[in-house]
This record gives sequence, structure tokens and C-alpha cells, in this order.
Amino acid sequence: MASHFSGVLQLTDLDDFITPSQECVKPVKVDKKQGKSVAKIQIEDDGSYFQVNQDGQRQKLEKAKITLNDCLACSGCITSAESVLITQQSHEELYRVLRLNKVLLSSGEQKVVVVSVSPQSRASLAARYSLSSSETARRLTAFFKNLGVHYVFDTGFSRTFSLLESQREFLKRFARKEEDKKALPMLASACPGWICYAEKTHGDFILPYISTTRSPQQIMGSLVKSFFTKQQGLDPQKIYHVTVMPCYDKKLEASRPDFYINEFETREVDCVITSGEVLRMLEEEGVSLSDIEPAPLDTMLSNVCGEELLCHAGSGSGGYLHHVYTHAAKQLFGVEVEELTYKTLKNKDFQEVTLEKDGIILLRFAATYGFRNIQNLVQKLKRGKSPYHFVEVMACPSGCLNGGGQLKPVADQSNKELLQQVEELYKAEHLSAPEQDTRVAELYQTWLESVGEETARQLLHTQYHAVEKSTNGLTIKW
Amino acid sequence: MKDTLAPVLRLSAHPDSRCWYVAWSPKGSLLASCGGDRAVRIWGKEGDNWECKCVLSDGHQRTVRKVAWSPCGNYLASASFDATTCIWKKKNDDFECLTVLEGHENEVKCVAWAPSGNLLATCSRDKSVWIWEVDEEDEYECVSVVNSHTQDVKHVVWHPTQELLASASYDNKVCIYKEEDDDWECRATLEGHTSTVWSLSFDPEGQRLASCSDDRTVKIWKECTPGDGDGSTDGAWKCVCTLSGFHSRTVYDVAWDRLTGALATACGDDGVRIFKEDTTADPEQPVFYLSAHMPKAHSQDVNCVAWHPQEAGLLATCSDNGEIAIWNYHSDA
Repeated sequence: MASHFSGVLQLTDLDDFITPSQECVKPVKVDKKQGKSVAKIQIEDDGSYFQVNQDGQRQKLEKAKITLNDCLACSGCITSAESVLITQQSHEELYRVLRLNKVLLSSGEQKVVVVSVSPQSRASLAARYSLSSSETARRLTAFFKNLGVHYVFDTGFSRTFSLLESQREFLKRFARKEEDKKALPMLASACPGWICYAEKTHGDFILPYISTTRSPQQIMGSLVKSFFTKQQGLDPQKIYHVTVMPCYDKKLEASRPDFYINEFETREVDCVITSGEVLRMLEEEGVSLSDIEPAPLDTMLSNVCGEELLCHAGSGSGGYLHHVYTHAAKQLFGVEVEELTYKTLKNKDFQEVTLEKDGIILLRFAATYGFRNIQNLVQKLKRGKSPYHFVEVMACPSGCLNGGGQLKPVADQSNKELLQQVEELYKAEHLSAPEQDTRVAELYQTWLESVGEETARQLLHTQYHAVEKSTNGLTIKW
Repeated sequence: MKDTLAPVLRLSAHPDSRCWYVAWSPKGSLLASCGGDRAVRIWGKEGDNWECKCVLSDGHQRTVRKVAWSPCGNYLASASFDATTCIWKKKNDDFECLTVLEGHENEVKCVAWAPSGNLLATCSRDKSVWIWEVDEEDEYECVSVVNSHTQDVKHVVWHPTQELLASASYDNKVCIYKEEDDDWECRATLEGHTSTVWSLSFDPEGQRLASCSDDRTVKIWKECTPGDGDGSTDGAWKCVCTLSGFHSRTVYDVAWDRLTGALATACGDDGVRIFKEDTTADPEQPVFYLSAHMPKAHSQDVNCVAWHPQEAGLLATCSDNGEIAIWNYHSDA
């Protein structure tokens, strides 16, 4: 099977084409029990194992299971992670939960199903059905609700938080850049492919540069499982939270232990499905978005103005460079930036924006997409030759609109044409400025103030962990 | 056979180790060798003898698998199992390590300089082929990472005149790459070998490509031109000749002599063979015959064959026994 992960992830640990059942070297913890140790093990026709004691008693043995967390914490293969992932996070799983809900209808044990759709996925589906992005959102809302989903939100809303936090984090880092050599450049953190690659390959060297701000998906996780649950008077595990993303790697992000609420034994985002998987759901249901009667948007956790969804300025990858740059120019140097001029460097996926005053460069930002450009950035950093204050790093060439989970071109359509179309639809939405979002400002004052500074920080930020290269004898490569 | 392959001299180049590869400098005044002893050695002619001028031993932590000279002859690149590629700059009689190219996940298997000298290609067991660009300040930047192979990539070689790159792999395939927009992509996949493809060599004009394999054959591939009338797409390559029945073991290397057009092979049966083309045959169905054969050229596997760039018929070979041998090939044909 061809891997769905971004190229960056496929590149780390490349020679493994194993699945956990075959050759995984991850040690599995076995709970040892006291008692006599003489027994036979019998393998049944169905592959299950039975322990047969001396007295003839039979006892079914538990299977050793490798969880996705085991995979992510291991420096071994990535293909294993994928096979585990497919069983835990897929549209099949969403269907399973929805079916179970119908069975449990009368018992009160139903889960509240929340779907948060990313703006990039919306644009990808909009291109397929020749609809506007907002119209796509309204019809997707109807489609999901017909299936039994209770709420459909927009991760553009949580992205506003992510952009504001990135702006603030940058100012703090800029202020301590003299005493902290790793304060700058600040590297954007929204791309999980990039994060996974950095943790596995460049570990402690690169991680301090990476912004601690959570991605829009994971801030949505906080909003849904912390804010929304309280509002609805529900425990977090009573909500099944699904996100629709342009990217397969987002499934890995949702599975990180950092985003698991231990107290309630639940993930902040339970399941991630890609834009392509939504298309498959539509096909399986035998419906076309063109024929679905639109439904009103759930505005509570959506970036909306009336019935129209809004967008953020800048790149189709969230506009991190744009927002951090304009904010920093104003706050640090009193410059109101009207328009950003992107200068293409080596290739279209390496662009630079500079702020100059009297011939002196005050700020130098870059957008660096795709593995080859990430390589050059990392090497520049290692040689102490990076001139940047901030870099918007994305694993996919052309960024998130071109993510691996997006819809593929139809016949006669080139990838380039499709990408252009998706980009136009994405950018056709009206812009919203994070700084002027009154609803978000209100949530900062009410919700985030009420939980205290430390909890608020945890809800909006995260941390990274270098993955030690395994020195296990079995994995030594000759 | 009137044609002869006569020994000229033998050097114990990497004693107690393997000698993996040899490369002549563009003018042919120096020969670089590399081996399992993690060192690169530079050999130069003194009178009738070849002497070791220089040992570059501090660049790599593991086996140095291949070396390549830049077209100007002022730089040397070395590819190592330590996952890095070193770029060495020639300073008078010495070499200094200019930069270390990092990025491959594991063993780098080969390095090759494009004819312009501005591009460098590397390949690795990590299945990827990387293309690097060199600027005026000797800074190297990665311009592309291509993942067209499904296994270890053994060899990369540039077309003699165009910016076209070929790679050979453990997946039995050869890939041909070209720049498209601002990235590199695989334009053609050459399938036909039934085992690992170990090495590649373009003919002097760049119209044909020779590949050698663990399947004990050498294949000659020709670029299809739109005028061929066989419906093949632009940029595709087809196999026009297979040399089988000549080698009793893996063919590790193949080299097409730019001066004589002869094709040399290095074989796991310790032999060195020279093939010549029958000039009377149909160019669409070329015929090669064995012109010279040195059965026990070395006491162990022959790893590499390299024709001297200026002296016709002068051939360097190296072996698992750590030796370099230099031969004189003479043909009456």
C-alpha cells in the first residue's frame, strides 16, 4: 500500500515496510503473575493462543497490542504507525460511533458528536462540486447532521487563537533573543509532519526553535473538550470530536499523548478524517454535495459573519507568517504593513519577506515548504547561517492546500490547475483579523481567565519531545 | 582475440581493506581511490610509478563508497556509509574539507557531479536521490529530493552533456530524472533487469546508457525519439541490447570509454572484460562482442572500472583485496 503520509514522514526511517504484527521491535510490557510456571501454549485454528496448565485448565492469552502511542514514541518504522492509525482513526470509525449512537438512543449513553472542518478541506470539496467555500460548509453541515452528527464547527475559529498566540509568543521570543540563542528564529508549529520529522531526526537541536503554540486542530480540541463541554454540562469523554483535515499527518498529531486528557481518558480530538475521506463518505451515502439542501451553520465555534465563513489573510497554510509579521512590525517598530511582498528564493516554496527601514533590515521572515527546503533551513540553522526571525515551515510542497489528504484531481485536470482552483476558493472568503475578533477576545476574558494562567497556557500551548535513536541490538543496521 | 588487456602496474591502495572505487581527475593526472578503511587516497604519477600523494582520512566515520571529481578538477566529493558526503577542495598538493553535506538518513552510496559543475547528485540506502546546487561561494543547497525507487539506490550518473540524471537501485530498476518547473522528477523508469542494478554509464554522446546488474547481464538502453514511430512517449528509454552469457557472477561496474567507445565491466568473478561494438550492425539493434577478457584481474571481486580521460585504452580497476590495478587495452579493430 502506498503511504498517505507527507513526504517528510515517509523519508524518516525509510527501510521499514513492516507492520507491528511482523517485526516490530518495540518491547511490550508483560504483567508477570505469581504462580507455577509450567504450562503449555496451544495455538487454535483462528490464531488465538491458549495456555494449558498441568491440570488441563485452559486460559485464553491476551494479545500483545502495539498502540499508536507506542509507534510514535519509537524511533523505528512509520509504516507501522500507519497501519495502527487506520484502525483507530478513519471515517469507518466515525460511522461506527454514529451507528452505536443509534443503538444507544434510548439509554442516554449516546455521545455528542462534534465535527470541526478545516478551511482547507472546505475549499478542496468546494472545488470538486463547483460551490463557494461557505456554501460547501452549509451543505457539509447538512450532510453530517443527516448522519447523526450534533454540531459542525470550523477550525478557522480556533486558528484565530493560534494566530494570536503565535503573535504573542514571537514578541516574547524577540525580547529575549540576546540572552537566549534559541529564541529565534521562531519556527511555526502547525504542521504535524514537520513536527514529527523534527522530533525524530533533529531532536534537541531544533525543538527549542519551534513555537509552542498549538495548531488550530489542537486548540479546537481544547475548545470542544474544555470550553464546550462545560457549557453543555458534559464530561469530555461524552463528546466524540472529529476533525476534517487536508492532511494525513494530522491523525498523528491528534494521537499525541500531550493531547490526551488523562483524567477523563479521552483525546481532545478523537478522530481525524481527511477531505478525501469525506468524499468517500459522500460516495458511500450515494449523495452529491450539489444536491444536498444547505443547513444553517453552527456559529458558536466558527469563524463567521452572518451566514458566511471568514478566512485569514496570508498563505493557505494558516497565514502564520502574515499575521506574526504584521503584528511584530507594528508592535516592535511602529510600522503599519499594508501589503506583504514575498520574494521567491530558490524555488516557489521558499519565500522571504523583509521589513526595512533606512536600509537596515529589521525583520526577515520566510515561508519554507516541502522537504528539500526544510533540509536547507535546518542546515542553515546548524551552520549558524540562518538570517531569519520567523519561518512558516510546512512539510508539503505548496503547503496545506496541497495536503496529502486533499481531493485528487479529476480526469483531464492537472494537479496544478486543481491547486489553483482550491486556492482561489480558499481566498474568496472575506478576511477576518484575529486582533479584532470580539468573540475570541471574550473567550480569552471569560473562559481562559477563569481557568487560571497555567491551565490557559496548557490549553493553548504544547511541548515537543526528542525521539532517542534506538540502540536496541535488533535495530542496528549494517 | 587480437585485442589485448595488458597489466601496467598494481598498487596496494587500501591494505587490509576493500578498495571500493577509483576516479580519474578530468585531466587524468590524478587518481582518487576510496575504501573500507574510511580513507580517500590521491595517487599521482612520479616517473613510471604511481605514488600516494595524499590521504584524506579525517572526513568520514565509516566506509567511503564512492569518490567523484568536479569537472574543473578542483573539487572532490566523497560519499560515505556515515550518511554524509564530503566536499574536498584542492589546495596545491593538499585537500581541505570544504563542507559536509548532511541529510540522508543512512548510507550514502554514490555521488556524481553534473557536467556544468553546478549540480551534484547523491543517493542512499534511504531510497532517495538528492540533487544539490553549488553557488559561487561554495555553498551547497538541496534543490530536490526524489523518491522514485522503492529500495537502496546504488548509483547515480549524469548525462555527459544534458542536465539529465540516471540512478540504479536494488529494486532492479533504473530511473531517469529531469528538472520540471523548479523541481526534479523521474521521467522514465527502465525495467528489465531481474536483480539489483549496480552501476550505469552513458556512451560518449549520451544517446545510450549501459547498466550492469546482479543478474549477470549488461543492458544497453537507448532514448526513444518521437521519430521512432513505435508510439513510445518522449523521454522514454528502451533496451536495445542485453549482454548475457559473458559474466559468471554479479557485474558491479560498467564504464564506456569516451575515447575508444569500448565498454569495460567489473565482475564478482574477479574478471575484467572489454566489449566492442560491431559497427556494421543496425544502430537500433546494436551488437557487442567480447574483445578482451582478464579472468583473474584481481584475487577478489572487482568493484570498479575507470577509463583514463585522455590516454586511450588506459584502464584503472580496483578490488575487494584493497588493490588498484592499471591496464593497457589495445585493439586492432
